Amino acid sequence: MHRTEDVLATLGMIRQHKLDVRTVTMGIDLQPCAAPDLTVLCARIRERLLQYAGRLRAVCLEVEGRYGIPIVNRRIALSPIASVAAGHSAEGYLEVARTLDAVAAEVGVDLVGGFTALVQKGWTDGDRRLIETLPEVLSTTRRVCASVNVGTTAAGINMDAILALGQVLKETAERTRDQDGFGCAKLVIFANAPTDNPFMAGAFHGVGEPDCVINIGVSGPGVVKAAIEDLQTHATTRLTLGEIAEEIKSTAFRVTRVGELIGREVATRLGVQFGIVDLSLAPTPQVGDSVGEILQAMGVVRIGAPGSTAALALLNDAVKKGGSFASSSVGGLSGAFVAVSEDSALAKAVEVGDLTLAKLEAMTAVCSVGLDMIAVPGDTDAETLSALIADEVAIGVINHKTTAVRVIPVPGKAAGDRAVFGGLFGEMQILPIHAAGGSADFVRHGGRIPAPLSSLRN
Amino acid sequence: MSTYIVTVTAADRVGIVYSVAGTLRDQGGNILELSQTVMRGCFTIILAVEFPSPRVPQDLARVIAERGKRFDLTVAVIEMKPEPLEPPVPNGERFILTVLGADGIGNIHGIAGCLAAHGVNIVDLHARADGTRFSLIMEAFLPPDLAPGTIREELERFGRDHGLEAYVQHENIFLATSEPSPVRVGPAWKTQGDAVAPH
Repeated sequence: MHRTEDVLATLGMIRQHKLDVRTVTMGIDLQPCAAPDLTVLCARIRERLLQYAGRLRAVCLEVEGRYGIPIVNRRIALSPIASVAAGHSAEGYLEVARTLDAVAAEVGVDLVGGFTALVQKGWTDGDRRLIETLPEVLSTTRRVCASVNVGTTAAGINMDAILALGQVLKETAERTRDQDGFGCAKLVIFANAPTDNPFMAGAFHGVGEPDCVINIGVSGPGVVKAAIEDLQTHATTRLTLGEIAEEIKSTAFRVTRVGELIGREVATRLGVQFGIVDLSLAPTPQVGDSVGEILQAMGVVRIGAPGSTAALALLNDAVKKGGSFASSSVGGLSGAFVAVSEDSALAKAVEVGDLTLAKLEAMTAVCSVGLDMIAVPGDTDAETLSALIADEVAIGVINHKTTAVRVIPVPGKAAGDRAVFGGLFGEMQILPIHAAGGSADFVRHGGRIPAPLSSLRN
Repeated sequence: MSTYIVTVTAADRVGIVYSVAGTLRDQGGNILELSQTVMRGCFTIILAVEFPSPRVPQDLARVIAERGKRFDLTVAVIEMKPEPLEPPVPNGERFILTVLGADGIGNIHGIAGCLAAHGVNIVDLHARADGTRFSLIMEAFLPPDLAPGTIREELERFGRDHGLEAYVQHENIFLATSEPSPVRVGPAWKTQGDAVAPH
């Protein structure tokens, strides 16, 4: 007989603390679809997606029923389209995006990632065309997600691409003005992008991956918060931070194991390879499903106060350690997301003025992603947006880690106004950018920031 | 070889297992499997015991009771048929069913009725009422053609009228979250009714 405590502990994570499988993401290699004829290319893409993902929805429902754990999203990540559609015109890229949007709906996935270009060291004609089409793709399709990798520790930072992306953000926001610039929420700009990340909007199927793979994203900030609170309730003396870290580790172990089980089961039933499980504490706007609330449970009552970065570092590291012990197939981002509009506690901290853009940037140096889901004033100039991207990318490149930027300049709104994205994307008060416009000359230089030294690391 | 199922109940005291196991040893019996618990002060043990030659069940029960006279044991012994029993649910898979909520007369009867109607075989069951709260955790084998969702819906339908929540989950999720051994998918290793094989 299973121990009653174990059964109730696992059940409690699901029914009370919102543990779920946030996403089952199927990675599909699209390179074999490349064709000089656009009609052929789109037909091949459709056929390949139906071949691999046609049963994804049904299998996920079966597995959900078998284990009694919610699988919230089913998604597809594709080979970077910039190279799959290389040689085609901008209209060709748009047609590919429309094809992806339609097939995604057909197979029952909510998002499809991989409208992607990897331009860290330079860009091809295909990369340029894909980036040019982003505003139209992000404003006219519903399910297509885009990402651009603009820097790596090995290659440095492509400032030409970053300069272009500042303009892309402005144009995309303007085209989706009636949704508070929501189109920008489907574009992630990366440094050191992982090739197996299952979380959107930045998922793509990287080079070195098999034909088809199942990657899993598990979440569970509510579970971690509940574990810390439970530990505190039963402690007879004040807890040390080491004890809190241990509790987070063992909780991360349980959550990661759920992810691996679901991933292996889905992959087995579909007859494809299981890839990785990514335990990332990904918040939702629901109360009790927040990374900010974990920091508060650790004693940082006002998120953004000194100590916030240290608390986040502890959390992120303990999550990675627990995940690594749980599974040899941990990958993706694995850590804590500080997605502001999606996290009710972080959004509240912005509202009361405790959490600023500068503090968020500092916190991203120790968490798993970066400046994520942050609304900024609509009149922010393109160069300032580019400079904001460059700062965040530099943190990743210098520190040998992934960082990402998902900022939304909200048209017609200013700092202090409210941006509402709806659903899981949440809402937040628009953050001011201090000294905006003060670094335009820097980013206009363009070119490439050279790769950093890998020795003398102090 | 002859195998017998022995059950012993008594008010809980120190030394009952020592007494029962000693009697069985002296009679030449080898204990194959044993499960013991104390429920609200009442000691209960069930054993599968193998003897090299046949025994008269009533005689064996009497010897155990006499040796443990100071414990006032209630003993029952039945003989197991030599041929192996067919599993009640061939090719079934082991699920964990959890029911939580308000205590009420007939809860277990109602739950068991839902399961029996769908050919679900209960192999291990723990339930208790704590004040007004009722909790039940069981291991049960579901027939291979029965979707877990079907039995969950049945239990939820019963639960709605009785203030109960029901969960039906394959046991692998509990193995995955509770043990450091590698995650695996597919059917359980344990056979039906086998309580001692490693998970």
